[in-house]
Amino acid sequence: MTKTRILTEFGIGSSLRRQDYTEAAARAVRDALWRNSINAAELFGFAKEDMILDVEIGVHRPEAVDIAEIAKIFPYGQPTITVTHGGLDIARPEANPGSGKPTVIANAAISVSFAMEPADG
Amino acid sequence: MVEKRLIIEMGMGNDMYGQDYTKAAIRAVESAIRRSSLPLFEGLGLSHDVMRVAVTIGVQDPAGVDTAAVAATLPRGRAQVTATPGGQNVTNPGTGQTIVIATAAVEAFFPDQSELWRLLPAPAKTDGAPG
Repeated sequence: MTKTRILTEFGIGSSLRRQDYTEAAARAVRDALWRNSINAAELFGFAKEDMILDVEIGVHRPEAVDIAEIAKIFPYGQPTITVTHGGLDIARPEANPGSGKPTVIANAAISVSFAMEPADG
Repeated sequence: MVEKRLIIEMGMGNDMYGQDYTKAAIRAVESAIRRSSLPLFEGLGLSHDVMRVAVTIGVQDPAGVDTAAVAATLPRGRAQVTATPGGQNVTNPGTGQTIVIATAAVEAFFPDQSELWRLLPAPAKTDGAPG
């Protein structure tokens, strides 16, 4: 047994006016992180730093997400962050144009894994 | 057997018109448990029965929550549901209509796994690329 996924947390985040894909993604990550509280390392007697964090973000414009900014949110562990096309952009109604920028919605999924094996293996 | 808590999931649910505390509680639990996934059962070969699920519902009228009905909505594990004063009631002064809001905490406990698993040694970098 090698890398074993223990749990995944989900979140969504938005940018309402500025079409800021990094901010929407950061809010999605915070939503996922702070909606649950986990003690995954403690269950196995491992250290928090042993957690392997895989962060998957979906937005309509993946190239606009600043991955270094997203990485700063994590208090420990080395997150591997991937951004793919997903989330949702909703155009402003023509009758109510405002700034003209769409409402941006980002999806985030954060998975915790360990490189582990049975102790008696 | 020593138990450890793997996760506490939080959620909120409401009933807009019926002042139904059970309906609000079930929606709060649903919003809590659908924000995460626990693939460790498959990954480690654990039975769902080993997980104990403690559900705490906060509402303004705890006696109005049918805890057995809430427990029946938990898909996995051994669920216990308790209702306690909390949540929020919001009344529109114009109409007198009250919205009831339930707060849910869903805690998943597992038998301590620390004797059963160990970490693999970190793999040596072979590609020469910066970490």
